[in-house]
Amino acid sequence: MIIPLVRALLLSAAATLLLAAAAGAAEPARYQRTIERYTIPDVVLINQDGEKVRFKTLFDTQQPVVVDFIYGTCTTICPILSAGYANLQRKLGTDTTRVHLVSITIDPENDTPAILKKYLAQYSAKPGWDFLTGSRKDIDRVMNAFDAYFRDKMDHKPLTFIRSPKDGSWIRLYGLLSGVDFLDEYKKAGLQ
Amino acid sequence: MKFLLTVSLLLLSLTTALAAEPLPSAAEIQRLGERMYRDGLLPSGAVMKAFVSDDVPVDGTAFTCVSCHLRSGLGSIEGEVVTPPTNGRILYQERKPYVQGAIHVPLIHNYAVYLPERPAYTDQTLAALISAGIDPTGRSVLKAMPRYELDDRDMAIMIAYLKALSDQPSPGVGEHVIRFATVIVAGTDPVAVESMLLPLQFSVDRKNRLAAAAGANPRVARMGYNMLGDLQSYTFTLARWTLTGPPEGWRAQLDDYYRKEPVFALLGGISPGDWEPVHRFCEENRIPDLFPVVDYPVISDSDWYTLYFSRGIRQEGEAAARYLHGMADLIKDRAIVQVIRDTRRGRALADGFRAGWQATGHTPAIDVLLPAAEALTGERLQQIVAGHKPAVLLVWDDAASLPAIGALAGQPDRPGLVLASGNWFGQALWTVPEPLRELVYFTWPWRLPQEDARFDISVNKIFAGKSPAAYDPRIVRQSYTTGEVLGKALMEMRGEYHRDFLYDTIGMMTDMYYPLYERVSFGPGQRYAAKGCFIVQLGKGEKPQLERRSEWVMQ
Ligand code: HEC
Repeated sequence: MIIPLVRALLLSAAATLLLAAAAGAAEPARYQRTIERYTIPDVVLINQDGEKVRFKTLFDTQQPVVVDFIYGTCTTICPILSAGYANLQRKLGTDTTRVHLVSITIDPENDTPAILKKYLAQYSAKPGWDFLTGSRKDIDRVMNAFDAYFRDKMDHKPLTFIRSPKDGSWIRLYGLLSGVDFLDEYKKAGLQ
Repeated sequence: MKFLLTVSLLLLSLTTALAAEPLPSAAEIQRLGERMYRDGLLPSGAVMKAFVSDDVPVDGTAFTCVSCHLRSGLGSIEGEVVTPPTNGRILYQERKPYVQGAIHVPLIHNYAVYLPERPAYTDQTLAALISAGIDPTGRSVLKAMPRYELDDRDMAIMIAYLKALSDQPSPGVGEHVIRFATVIVAGTDPVAVESMLLPLQFSVDRKNRLAAAAGANPRVARMGYNMLGDLQSYTFTLARWTLTGPPEGWRAQLDDYYRKEPVFALLGGISPGDWEPVHRFCEENRIPDLFPVVDYPVISDSDWYTLYFSRGIRQEGEAAARYLHGMADLIKDRAIVQVIRDTRRGRALADGFRAGWQATGHTPAIDVLLPAAEALTGERLQQIVAGHKPAVLLVWDDAASLPAIGALAGQPDRPGLVLASGNWFGQALWTVPEPLRELVYFTWPWRLPQEDARFDISVNKIFAGKSPAAYDPRIVRQSYTTGEVLGKALMEMRGEYHRDFLYDTIGMMTDMYYPLYERVSFGPGQRYAAKGCFIVQLGKGEKPQLERRSEWVMQ
């Protein structure tokens, strides 16, 4: 089995260093991180079960909440963000509802509750991960509130928001995070 | 450097490993490779294992190559994230920050500047990229590209599949010609047929005039080239395939037409009823059909090759369900009654409503079926209302039902809201008497007429001296959209005329505003472009306008 061997070599820490040296550059920062405060709009969205969800109330909680913006048929960005969510749920073990993971569609035009449900199933989502759609107007308001307005779904950017239950501040992460980075950030938010 | 040497030595022995295993037949490679590429399943049937963002394990069933590189393998662009082509023809070429031969064509050229240079792949470096995420320059691509655990044989199948992917231009593409056809089901109203054809022929002729002008004048050629690249020198042809007799016989006719003249894609097409055999023909031969003019499209969330304007008549019923869902608090546990004319149209509306209403967990509506030939009298409708005391009455019938609805107006226990199909009512919608206008709501699957007028100038160019009155304005507008979407897609295809890439390209388009539909939107695999339908009421006065009571898309 030669391929696993190549892989093992390439992925060892030494190899990474050597490769960086060979390429003549250090790895650029993988993502940007800022601390923000957001005013959450009072809109009613709809979850994967077709239930109405008063968006504001999702944050009246002592639980950590993570928010991202994705959509059902999106390419590269969403698979990566959603794999991060699924991974976090795996790390949470049996009680996945300890953290509320919220995905909000930026394609409410196409994303019906049925499509949201199918998407979650594809990622083996467990309780605690909700995927929300709504009217275009309300979704626009939510995107604006997070300073994440996409004029069109094809202008999509990878953004993840972690809310600290301690003071309601948000860590805004812009970029494609690795699983380790995501868990790190999550811990930095004071969450376990 | 020593490390790189070790890797190269290892890769050298990999060559032998890859070659040692005998590979299955080309057809089998195609099947097994496609299964990995599209479904994330290994040849053994087991789920492919990937690691994304370095270290996050993911099953191939969550996503796989196709989710990012798309079906054609010619890549995707979303926001700032560019996913490069992954077909052999391009991988086994050196990559420069420009597209060779298209340096002056911004539309094509812009794409390449996002991607770093790299040398051509070999089987060995490609295997290393897929399994370890290291490209031939030694750069890690793992930030966005997963790595895959494949054994040597599966890797060899994957690589062979990539080599065949989007390798040759699709059928119907000649050296300087792209062939199209449109399908006309005999018996369709000739006005409808001409209305479908006129804008298509207009687009084709316009393109061919440009090609001819470019051939005759080097300055035009240069300008055309800068806009369109090689596409400017192509001519288009549009054949008309007429289908006769019952639907069961259409397939043989389609096969025959296609054998005589393979086409790249079907444009439009029209039928007064059935379309399924044409849909199946396209599915099985993997031929795109852009926007047939039909009321009853095939509804599927996995079929690939027909792109419809909307979900057809059914979509109005679905919109009615979403609208009522929005006021469920007012309806509470009171009944909803659907009066359904027992025709294809009536049933399609009722089916759409039923599916939408039940999906949101409501108690099913009460269905009252009206035989196709029985008149709906005021008395009958009053009986229905008295019997069920519905909060909402849906009348899926034509405008002949209007007097019966009128008879409800004075009834004390009348429903709070009556909903009918604005599409089915047709011109009669404008004759709803004032006292009824408060009570009756309509589905309206288009932009409001007063707001669509701004497209008149662009649409009118098509008539070129002919009288617009001789055509069906809605079908002309539909077909106009077909021409526009096709033109835009071909321009963005970078000279890669592959059927799957046509759809991949359309899937990457932003929302568009064309005549007729409030908005059309696309996305990989999305096959019903206009997703909405307004709920409207007729306004007051002698010259009433339609007034919106809902958004275009309701969830
Ligand atoms: C989550 C999205 C995603 C998935 C899934 C994915 N890729 Fe990629 N792939 C990418 C991105 C993004 C790049 C470019 C990375 C870079 O250059 O930094 C890439 C790069 C590549 C390259 C290198 C292209 C070049 O020109 O250097 C190949 C080959 C490739 N992918 C093949 C595959 C195959 C085969 C699969 C399935 C087994 C696959 N990819 C699955 C996103 C993906």
